Amino acid sequence: MIEVESLSLAYGRGRREIMTLDDISFSVEEGELVSLVGPSGCGKSTLLFALDGLIKPTTGHIRIDGEEVHGIRRDVALILQDAGLLPWKTVRDNAELGLRIQGLKDDATQTLATLGLEGFESRYPGELSEGMKRRVGIARALALHPRVLLMDEPMANLDSLTREKIQNLMLKQWKERGFTGVLVTHDIEEAVLLGQRVLVFSPRPAVLSEVLANPEAGMAEYRGSEKFSERVRYLRDKLQEEEE
Amino acid sequence: MRYIARYGLAFVLLLGVWWLASWILFLVHERQVLPTPWMTFQVGAQNIRLLATAFGNSAWRFLLSLCIAFSIGLPLGLVVGFQRKLYEYFSPLVHLTYPIPPVALLMFLYLAFGIGETVKVLVVVVALFFQVLVAAQGAARQIPQSYITSVRSAGANTWQLYRHVVFPATLPSVFTAARVSVGLGITMVYIAENELGLVAGPESGLGRLIDHFAFRPDLAMAGVVGLALLGLTFYSGLDLLDRWLCRWRHLEGHGEG
Ligand SMILES: Nc1ncnc2c1ncn2[C@@H]1O[C@H](COP(=O)(O)OP(=O)(O)O)[C@@H](O)[C@H]1O
Ligand SMILES: [Mg+2]
Repeated sequence: MIEVESLSLAYGRGRREIMTLDDISFSVEEGELVSLVGPSGCGKSTLLFALDGLIKPTTGHIRIDGEEVHGIRRDVALILQDAGLLPWKTVRDNAELGLRIQGLKDDATQTLATLGLEGFESRYPGELSEGMKRRVGIARALALHPRVLLMDEPMANLDSLTREKIQNLMLKQWKERGFTGVLVTHDIEEAVLLGQRVLVFSPRPAVLSEVLANPEAGMAEYRGSEKFSERVRYLRDKLQEEEE
Repeated sequence: MRYIARYGLAFVLLLGVWWLASWILFLVHERQVLPTPWMTFQVGAQNIRLLATAFGNSAWRFLLSLCIAFSIGLPLGLVVGFQRKLYEYFSPLVHLTYPIPPVALLMFLYLAFGIGETVKVLVVVVALFFQVLVAAQGAARQIPQSYITSVRSAGANTWQLYRHVVFPATLPSVFTAARVSVGLGITMVYIAENELGLVAGPESGLGRLIDHFAFRPDLAMAGVVGLALLGLTFYSGLDLLDRWLCRWRHLEGHGEG
């Protein structure tokens, strides 16, 4: 379980201070997957970095399973925007990066196979399509068997077919592994499709402007349903309103 | 293979230009100013042992200098480039000392270290050191944040950060710098051998050999060819090492799906 309490975050100091998150509070239940949408530059990545322990809150608290987050935790994994692969490492070495750094004996063979990357283990990222790169990024996080998975726009800028494939894959992994997830996306349909709740951020400095319950997320046939389109429309209006 | 063919072509072209130049100079001065390639190779073959010894000594001197310069300049440059705070203090120091040609310090080095082997190597090390330092420092500043975040997020300590990101990310630029500095390095070897090797014989290095045979242009020219080969050897050696260690950069094509 993740608890965020009155979290504010600013980059820089003094006159060059950039306020990104302004008094954010929410929580994510054990095994829940929530989506987070908001205009670009509002502080979504910043929030994930804070949840991952990469940056310290300026004020406020982040707790995971009741423990204050001070730094990197082994049970929390982050999927970076644009996958963040290291071009000098093969697919396997990229996927096993976290395992090696943490000194674990496991390998990523199984995870790579689940994500359809079997046979590509010795390729370099430069030889892969964008969709495959993202899957390697996902594999790197999943190989650590995290209890909390933070995802920063893992499906952004992909063609719609590839995107749908990876969305289904993510959903399947979530159901099988039961991790607690925070999915950042700027695609409203994706947010509604995957998140059991959808959090909406305002433009920077971000405040939590809306929390939409969406319990049908992840169910079969939801994508085509009336309720789905209704919620997408509602959120779209909401976001447009805020931009103005 | 094509690599070798291109070098072959360049070699032939160069021989042509060389031959033409010595012929024109002959016509103008009515005596042999620049020995022809044929004369040079002939005398080179006759003195091959002497040339090989001189080549070996120069090559060893250069290799040693290159290794020393890298083992100090590389870590220092990477750390200074990567730690922002250090860079702010250190970079003025580098930019003040970098433009000083090591040749300008030759006399002091000579006074301090005498004319032994140490000082010859030292002159070359100083020249290469700054090339490596500046290249490494620049490359370390260009590392994309996402690479750093991805290993930090996995819980990497400082050493792992260097091992998994800083070092491999900067390796290509460092190789480029190394290749570029071959020319400078050989110039420095030549100067060091000449200015600081007055009592040594012609076998002690190619630079010494060229100077020693100032009145035997054909032999001196053979020494010059030796210097060119020395450069080529190091250049290709570094190129091969680059292709092997940074093979991820020399890939093409994209997978499907
Ligand atoms: N390291 C940093 N230093 C200063 N400002 C930053 C830094 N990282 C991000 N920002 C700023 O913080 C704001 C939020 O960034 P980010 O969290 O990446 O937004 P999002 O992911 O929602 O697009 C942006 O205005 C960005 O320019
Ligand atoms: Mg972002």
